Amino acid sequence: MAGQTKTKRKGANTSLVFNNRMYFFLIPALAFFLILWIYPVLQLFYYSVTNFNGVNYDYDFVGLKNYAKVLTNGTLVNSMKNTLIYAVVSVVLSNILGLGIAMILNTKIRFKGLFRTCAYFPALFSAIVVGFIWSYVYMPSSGMIASLINLLGGDGSAFNPLGNYNTALIAICLVEVWKGFGTTMIIYLAGLQTVDESLLEAGRIDGCTEWQLFRKIKLPLISSTVTINVILSVIAGLKAFDYSFIMTNGGPGKSTKTLMFQVYETAFTDQKMGRASAFSVLAFAMIILITVIMLAYMNKKEVEL
Amino acid sequence: MAFGKKKDDREVETYMKMAPKVFLIYLVIVVFCIIIIAPLVIVFSSSLRSPGNQASPLNLFIEFTGASYAQAFKNMNYPMELLNSIMTTAGSVFCVVIFATMAAYPIGRIKTKTARFLYFFFISGLIIPSQMVIVPIAQTLNRLGVPNTRFTPMLMFITCSLPFSVFLFSGFMKGVPVEIEESAYIDGASLPRRFVSVVFPLLQPAIVSCVITQGLWIWNDYFYPMVFISKKSQYSLPVGMLQFLGDKENPAQWNVLFAACVLCALPLIIVFLALQKQFVNGIAAGAVKG
Repeated sequence: MAGQTKTKRKGANTSLVFNNRMYFFLIPALAFFLILWIYPVLQLFYYSVTNFNGVNYDYDFVGLKNYAKVLTNGTLVNSMKNTLIYAVVSVVLSNILGLGIAMILNTKIRFKGLFRTCAYFPALFSAIVVGFIWSYVYMPSSGMIASLINLLGGDGSAFNPLGNYNTALIAICLVEVWKGFGTTMIIYLAGLQTVDESLLEAGRIDGCTEWQLFRKIKLPLISSTVTINVILSVIAGLKAFDYSFIMTNGGPGKSTKTLMFQVYETAFTDQKMGRASAFSVLAFAMIILITVIMLAYMNKKEVEL
Repeated sequence: MAFGKKKDDREVETYMKMAPKVFLIYLVIVVFCIIIIAPLVIVFSSSLRSPGNQASPLNLFIEFTGASYAQAFKNMNYPMELLNSIMTTAGSVFCVVIFATMAAYPIGRIKTKTARFLYFFFISGLIIPSQMVIVPIAQTLNRLGVPNTRFTPMLMFITCSLPFSVFLFSGFMKGVPVEIEESAYIDGASLPRRFVSVVFPLLQPAIVSCVITQGLWIWNDYFYPMVFISKKSQYSLPVGMLQFLGDKENPAQWNVLFAACVLCALPLIIVFLALQKQFVNGIAAGAVKG
């Protein structure tokens, strides 16, 4: 009540028309969100200090043992490294490709719709179908790329990106880019279409090169589109799970175990929910940290541009 | 007349100067599109072969038969899976639109710190990965007495779609003029009435965008059905594909596997080709306006 009078005095924050009774509209969404999304996150903190196995409720408190284990057995560092590489490579590639193709499609070019459809098409497929298709593409000896190498006179059986410790992560990352860059491109295309042609014309008259037109006019004008694309792809990259799960099962060795794959494996395969929770808490802390730093940086950049 | 001719000449001249550059652009985009589409063309061509045809998949379209499709169709229990997919996707998207527009109404209209907090509270849900919280969620549902049916994943589809949808609708709510609502208020419209008859219809472009972006991931998601559903008759299309997991490294099974892939993606491809414009606009609108 006190709060209400205070806001009224401060000047119509809530008005007669838009009064606090509107908050009742939040109830269904908030109920779903709190019970099935926020509460489970809080439960992780609780499970992280137990030896709960995910099935049997007969568990004990073990203090910080799970955290100690996760930090010392190297799984956290390894999967964090893999996730960061995955996120950075997929963000950079899908944004450069997306923006590049969007710029080409934004010029006066024929068959624009056809090219756009081609580039966006992979985004329609389920991750599991994409995983199957690319397992074939990457297959040694008889896969698509290996067959092409054979056709060109090379040795296709030596080509095995998913079986090689050093290339497996990049290989599944390229799959993510293949599926994801089309969406990025469509968002960039919409952003570029908002750029006023007369500004570009003015730039041309003043003798700007194409690069200057891009760097000094187009890019600043679509900076909010860049921000949203980078944020969306970073979030997707940090959640990397699908292709490690479908295509490589974390291997070879630990080379494609991402944070979420490791959580899933610890919880379901190893049945160590306590340890998986401790792992999740630390992973989540890192995801939040990265997101916050990125948001602050992107906001600053957007203002500068 | 003379002027027109001069202009034509100039255009031809610039065109000649531009020609190599234009050619290069076409070359880049055509090569790029071929690289992107190549795996899909090969998959499609192989799926049209008989299951035993083991010629290299690079020999495109050497046989046309529905035999691989017939087998994939049978292995997948396709009609049932298709029906499950349609029901869960349509049901979830319907609920998301209702709940998210309702939630965005106060968040977009009330200008207090509470409303601002709720906005960021919902958006922050975007960064929580499903794999992290799946065990506590399963337990919560268990404790609430929710049985594992084909509809259980819908609860999670709705929940996971809320952050982005609330973000989307709150952004669009700014574009719905306050004045219209004020005059409705003066005419004696109640709050629910104003929402149903004034605000909701005006959010239509955002609703299309929400249906497309959220419908797309929900239709393609295999994770929640995989965790919650154990009966084969309750599988949706993507989770039904999991049974082929062992076949992906066995070239002898490829033709059937690829037919299954095509069957799994087909409904969405048809919808996409029919509603291409709405798709492209919907995906862009969600990110650009919000």
